[in-house]
Amino acid sequence: MRRGFYTKLAWDSIRKNKRLYIPYLLTCIGMVMMFYIILSLSLSPLLNDMAGGRTAGIVLDLGSKVIGIFALIFLFYTNSFLIRRRKKEFGLYNILGMGKKNISRIVIWEAVIVAFISLAAGLFAGIALYKLAELGFLYVMHTEVTYAFSVSFRAVTTTLVVFAVIFLLILLHTLWQLRSANAITLLRSENAGEKPPKGNWLFGFLGLGILIFAYYTAVTIEHPLSALGTFFFAVALVIVATYLLFISGSVLLCRILQKRKSYYYKPNHFVSVSSMAYRMKRNGAGLASICILVTMVLVMISATASLNFGAEDGLRKRFPRDINIGASFASAGDMKEENLEYLRQRIVEVLDDYDAIPVNLADYRTAALTAVLSDGVVRSTGDLQYDSGLADELWQVYFIPLEDYNITAEKKLSIPEGKCAIYLTRGDYAYDTITVPNGPTIQVAEEMEACELVHDATSSIMQTMYIILPNYVECAKAFEDAGTTLWTDWEYSFDLDVPAEQKVDIGVEVRDALLAEVGETEFSFSVSLESREAQRQGFFQLYGCLFYLGIMLSLVFICAAVLIIYYKQISEGYEDQQRFEIMQKVGMTKREIRKSINSQMLTVFFLPLITAAIHLCFAFPLINKLLLLFNLDNVLLFVGTCAVSLLVFGVFYVLVYRITSNAYFKIVSGQNMQ
Amino acid sequence: MSVLQVDCLKKVYTTRFGGNKVEALKNVSFSVETGEYVAIMGESGSGKTTLLNILAALDKPTAGTVLLEGKDISKVKEADLAMFRRNNLGFVFQDFNLLDTFSIEDNIYLPLVLAGKGHHEMAERLKPIALQLGISDILKKYPYEVSGGQKQRTAVARALITNPKVILADEPTGALDSKATDELLRLFREINANGQTILMVTHSVKAASHAKRVLFIADGEVFHQIYRGENTSEQMYQKISDTLTMLATGGDGK
Repeated sequence: MRRGFYTKLAWDSIRKNKRLYIPYLLTCIGMVMMFYIILSLSLSPLLNDMAGGRTAGIVLDLGSKVIGIFALIFLFYTNSFLIRRRKKEFGLYNILGMGKKNISRIVIWEAVIVAFISLAAGLFAGIALYKLAELGFLYVMHTEVTYAFSVSFRAVTTTLVVFAVIFLLILLHTLWQLRSANAITLLRSENAGEKPPKGNWLFGFLGLGILIFAYYTAVTIEHPLSALGTFFFAVALVIVATYLLFISGSVLLCRILQKRKSYYYKPNHFVSVSSMAYRMKRNGAGLASICILVTMVLVMISATASLNFGAEDGLRKRFPRDINIGASFASAGDMKEENLEYLRQRIVEVLDDYDAIPVNLADYRTAALTAVLSDGVVRSTGDLQYDSGLADELWQVYFIPLEDYNITAEKKLSIPEGKCAIYLTRGDYAYDTITVPNGPTIQVAEEMEACELVHDATSSIMQTMYIILPNYVECAKAFEDAGTTLWTDWEYSFDLDVPAEQKVDIGVEVRDALLAEVGETEFSFSVSLESREAQRQGFFQLYGCLFYLGIMLSLVFICAAVLIIYYKQISEGYEDQQRFEIMQKVGMTKREIRKSINSQMLTVFFLPLITAAIHLCFAFPLINKLLLLFNLDNVLLFVGTCAVSLLVFGVFYVLVYRITSNAYFKIVSGQNMQ
Repeated sequence: MSVLQVDCLKKVYTTRFGGNKVEALKNVSFSVETGEYVAIMGESGSGKTTLLNILAALDKPTAGTVLLEGKDISKVKEADLAMFRRNNLGFVFQDFNLLDTFSIEDNIYLPLVLAGKGHHEMAERLKPIALQLGISDILKKYPYEVSGGQKQRTAVARALITNPKVILADEPTGALDSKATDELLRLFREINANGQTILMVTHSVKAASHAKRVLFIADGEVFHQIYRGENTSEQMYQKISDTLTMLATGGDGK
């Protein structure tokens, strides 16, 4: 009987607060569902049958962890909002003679009910929608595998355990909150904090300063490799700055505006500015969270979409020709024509078996080193360890024979002895000559605008100089005589006019034929062969998988943002109800009030979206650099995906605004807005 | 000259589905002269609040007219009503109705800002009023920081600052302790002595005893009225009490 009493009270209070609880429950269900889906995908047996399935598994597993951590933080946040709203109710119970113990029992029962509904409905929805999610996954993975309806037992138990722990932590937090409050504070807590918000100069300007610094860092980043580290640093800074600015900066701005009397005491500014300060004080943290979530969604979607849709680009950039062979020789001396011809013959033998003719041939030698270019002297860094701090001064320097260049580029460039043509991937060359230590000094005859040999992804990551010259042998010898290690490579790549499957087979056979020679010849070399067609699927799958995870995480974040927005509107509705009435009595027309409230709501509502768009703009150069690491060098595509995701999200945001502001007006008009 | 003229006012409320009709005001007529201080008394449900709402143009009468300086307020267009109220009437409410988002000063300025007045003019107008009401020291504070009496004086200042033709006070002492009540009533007399017309609705005998004239409303009609004349507040208090007793015991005063 007694137990029944508490369960009934708990159940009743959830029902009575359904305006607050239904969205909370939906979010819990959504989190459980997403967690289950991503986790079972990562554990799915179908990954084993896929090329690149293991990578996908790792990426998805990471995704499920992100969702789990996010669920913990976010459900905590929403729950604390629920408690704040309900403290009055608990205070009333307390005054009516219920001890803290009794109230705790109600709270525990509520938590049990919420956890039960969330887990049951979430798992049910997860299992029901899993097939759909799987189909979507296979679609972006460019794979067609059909599997029967399946439930992953391991995913179910993991989900149950993870979320049981999350709900338990939330419950403990709630109980702790109740314990540390007495009846009066419980009763009053809704009305507490009516103090006027004070602009905090320190935090406001700190926020602005940090933001400007973060933006500056993001915009001035030069080097893709250092971009990765900088990215996380900048993200952390931007998050901190956003919170500071929304919480303190906005109130500070209102206060500054209030000080300007000629501005403040105008009918259309007076009410807005002063109530905005209050709104921002109460909602600053919520708005900042919305802003961060929106930014994350935009960045994630536009970057992963760029990768996904630019996968073909990336593939072609990473593997410029169908078959890409690179042979490394021990020295420039070993890399002589007759040895190369010997290897060519081995390749052609295989091609002849398939009646395949190589076209679009690249056939050139390079001698390369990592160097510092000061005063036009190419100084090897020797065995210097790579240090990202040095990244901006280090150059990849390639010496390429003129005749090889002419064959590969199909050009008739003529450069006299002692001169050279150069190509730099970044900037201009500051000197007229290039000096090889203990070797010749070469005049720069021409600085090329483009170089046909440049395709390699690393060339867009490391700053690179190509030196095309007739006396290539002399230079290489000078370096080798000085004991400098040169990377002497022979690049032999071509396209084939045969079906894709044959290209894969040819790749395998050519590799086998060449590897059979390693150690058998009188010159020593090592060989690597990359076949574009063989890599195609794995390539697409990695990017597809990232895109898929981007969409799924975005869905989770969007749900979270919508919930915060909804709660914000509701709490503002309750607050504005009374204010609305007073203003009317004092002599504002309903239209004036509505206009003022509308404009405030719009400002507050779209502030996060606009800030997120600005964040995205400043993050753009940084993310673009990061995409280079993924072989994507298509700024237009990235601009496009950014614009599209911003647009789509904007429309969606307006829709959410319309729906949630309905809830707001319903509350306000509860009394006097008929 | 009468500033407010109420003729044969009638208000019938119909319940939502048109079932029951409730007659809140049957037939109310009276007039208020410029510079008068009138209290309207009556028990709960006698129609006081309905009357005040109609006078404040917050509600429309079923029949009858209200003339403010000869102008029929029921003829004022809906769109102009808020402005009309702002320019002609000052309000003091039982629960102060101050906005907690504004400082005391800004609360007082609110009607002037809405009327588009410049900051200097507002500051000039506020100075003497704040001095008279004794709130000069708290102008920069916020409503949550001041006492009930101070809040009500702020509300009075907000009503006065527009130089209204009439101040309508709805149970102004209802939420105050006895000390703050005495202080407020003294201020009302002082303001009235300066020529401000005040119409106060109350069921507090003490509050009414300060007025120059007291109207009694019962069952939707003006039942009786007492003029202060040369009486002291104490004598007034006695007279009002007697009238109320008579009303309560069901005696017919007419």
